[in-house]
Amino acid sequence: MALYFFTPFIAIILTILGGGMIFYILGFNPIEALKFYFITPISNLYGFSELLLKATPLCLIAIGLSFCFKSNNWNIGAEGQLTFGAIVGGGVALLFYNQEGFYILPLVIIAGAIGGMIFALIPAILKTYFNTNEILVSLMLVYVSKLLLDYLVVGPWSNPEGFNFPETRQFSDSSRMPLLFEGLRIHAGIFLALAAVMLSWFVLYKTYLGFQIKVSGLSLKTAKYAGFKGKTMILVVFMISGACAGLAGVGEITGPIGQLHRMISPDYGFTAIIVAFLGRLNPFGIIFASLVVALTYLGAETAQIFLQIPKYTGQVFQGMILFFLLASDYLLFFKVKILNLKKNEPRH
Amino acid sequence: MATDLRISNISKIYPGCIANDNVSLQFKSGKIYALLGENGAGKSTLVKILSGVISPDNGEVFLNEKNLKLSSPLDAKKNKIGMVFQHFNLFETLSVFENLSIDATEDNKSLRLRINEILKKYNFSIDLDVPVLNLSAGQKQKVEIIRCLLRSPKVLIMDEPTSVLTEQETEELFISLKKFCDEGILIIYITHKLKEVLSLCDEVAVMRKGKVVSVSETQNERVETLANKMVGQKLAKIKKKINISKNKDEIFKVKHLNFYSDDPFETNLVNLNFSVKKGECLGIAGISGNGQNELFQILSGEIITPDTSIIFRNKEIAKLNPKQRREYLMAFSPEDRISQAAVPELKIYENVALNNFKSSNFFEKGLVNEKKIKEHSKKILSDFSVNTDNVELKSQFLSGGNLQKLILGRELITAPELLICYNPTWGLDVGAINYIHETLIKINDQEKSTILISTDTEELLKLSDRIAVIYKGKLSKIMPSEEVTPEKLGVLMGGGSID
Repeated sequence: MALYFFTPFIAIILTILGGGMIFYILGFNPIEALKFYFITPISNLYGFSELLLKATPLCLIAIGLSFCFKSNNWNIGAEGQLTFGAIVGGGVALLFYNQEGFYILPLVIIAGAIGGMIFALIPAILKTYFNTNEILVSLMLVYVSKLLLDYLVVGPWSNPEGFNFPETRQFSDSSRMPLLFEGLRIHAGIFLALAAVMLSWFVLYKTYLGFQIKVSGLSLKTAKYAGFKGKTMILVVFMISGACAGLAGVGEITGPIGQLHRMISPDYGFTAIIVAFLGRLNPFGIIFASLVVALTYLGAETAQIFLQIPKYTGQVFQGMILFFLLASDYLLFFKVKILNLKKNEPRH
Repeated sequence: MATDLRISNISKIYPGCIANDNVSLQFKSGKIYALLGENGAGKSTLVKILSGVISPDNGEVFLNEKNLKLSSPLDAKKNKIGMVFQHFNLFETLSVFENLSIDATEDNKSLRLRINEILKKYNFSIDLDVPVLNLSAGQKQKVEIIRCLLRSPKVLIMDEPTSVLTEQETEELFISLKKFCDEGILIIYITHKLKEVLSLCDEVAVMRKGKVVSVSETQNERVETLANKMVGQKLAKIKKKINISKNKDEIFKVKHLNFYSDDPFETNLVNLNFSVKKGECLGIAGISGNGQNELFQILSGEIITPDTSIIFRNKEIAKLNPKQRREYLMAFSPEDRISQAAVPELKIYENVALNNFKSSNFFEKGLVNEKKIKEHSKKILSDFSVNTDNVELKSQFLSGGNLQKLILGRELITAPELLICYNPTWGLDVGAINYIHETLIKINDQEKSTILISTDTEELLKLSDRIAVIYKGKLSKIMPSEEVTPEKLGVLMGGGSID
């Protein structure tokens, strides 16, 4: 069982080796290329701040997802919940675009969390009352929210002085996350992520809700037999998950972005699924996993600059992590054996 | 040709347990051999070694003096060792013929021809083109047997074959087995039912704690002698005092219990009505798959059915969930210990916390009170003689008997007025069965009631004050247990009528 917490490391090592091979096939010196990918991005303070900046939303979303996944609810629409949270939070920020006040940022954050929560409730309610499949519904809602955002930024919410660019006004400074250091983009949102980690650890391991989530994840039959309120629990875990994704969305638009436009998230909501599993659905594991996966985003950008390869290699690396993780888990529990079926003698 | 199977010095050691300790046995065709033993005695390990599922640490298997290398089930098949497991390996939605053709190498036409020959020869009546899910347990077993016969086996191993059969089906099975035996197939019959050993087998090997403790001719044995060899100590006989409960109050009353399901794997229940008196044990007999699962879940509140009325201690509880019903002092012990009553991956104290009644204070203001749960768990472990005092142990390391004691302990420590249990001794060894039977009798002695849903007729006759039979979702009339005989139950369980 100790191996269970060890396989993520095996997966990461295999991913690096696999990445090296791909670079080699592409005609690069694999060592050099991997250095550009994994070392260069964090070799200075600015790079390190970028790493934390990217890890923040990943960590937040993955923490929320761990509640769902632990209880056998397959919410894969965090990207949609992030987007809808950003829309609601951004809407509040736009209401106050020409005002100042300490109360504005908290309002924006709360609005974002509620937005994500409401959006996550849609698949949850459909699942509990109409027996729909939450995987399909939550995934399809991602596109709904993205199209809604698209409509808003080109239509009603577009910046009147923005020369028809698909973006809203800039938020006022009171709607922006305070920066932690002058000149770096890392912002106070990281504290939200850390608070979520602590809080989720407490809820998952020290409360009745956490106990119910654990039991339901291991055996739904037992949860039913124990008389847990299954429907309520589904709603609650989706709400937690949605709120976290909404917070991540609001953190992006009030942090590094400062307005709403089409590209508020490079698929953080989907990548966070990998983070959650790489972190073994454990709050502290997720911190570690979010840093690793954030590095693949940064590495891809560096590689684009220095090696002239598209930054979508980042997704290749993320895919490889998940692939190797699933493969090592599978090999952990099963044995591969090659059968020689031809040798099978005729039966009579 | 005569077959001679010899097992020589087989050992298999698992961490913390010696499953097979230097086992040597010899079997010759023309006889039916019984392998008898409690659960955990090492029978299944030995059988798994013979069928190639696991490899021994030590020792060899010889078939007609040829040393067999059994490293996979395929090897066992090649060497003509056939095996019918207790749980069937059939695809329920495929037809009988499709199931049989899956691993056949010949074309469908000649396969059908050979199957029909077998059907005729042994007088089996099975429609080859119906889906397996429409077959009775006995018929499914026959399909498994046919699958073995198609490979013209030298050795046929039957693992607890009668646990799912009716009396009549058991008789038919015995007739077939005797026929196979006459044709020179070596038959090894694994069981813990003593009477079957005596009525069917010629020789019996008894295993205890991984060792073969005795090999003898069955004609020299009696039920008592075999039981003592199996358990290793003289068993105290339990007999329940007949409860004089004629004039007691009804504590639990079910009216118009109906259940309808679209799922072909579930059984519909048709208008069940019954009641339980204070201090009484109501037994519900039946072959598994006749609606017991559904009945248990409705009584426990896992399934809520409309229009059903369940009165418990003068309150209507039909709409309450299991947790709420527990608050009214009901307790439930389901059949499935491993994935329903308890979660193997959870620690003992976490499994105890599953029965979280209000006064337990396991969870105060939504927070886990670990100390309280652990104290409570310790008490259960010692009161119900579970063989560990470590509440941090994962439940998967408990044996079936100890796990069942833990579950019963968890349910009973709240002093419930009514315990509903479903096959409480399923798959347990004689020692654990005795303990659980004593516990159940004690409950009735303390004027608390029980509903015992069981597929074990002996158990029902021993423990129940009144017995009803469930067949295809319908309940027979309820009879006082003095008037019930095993034969009567057998007829009712098979769908016959006794009037």
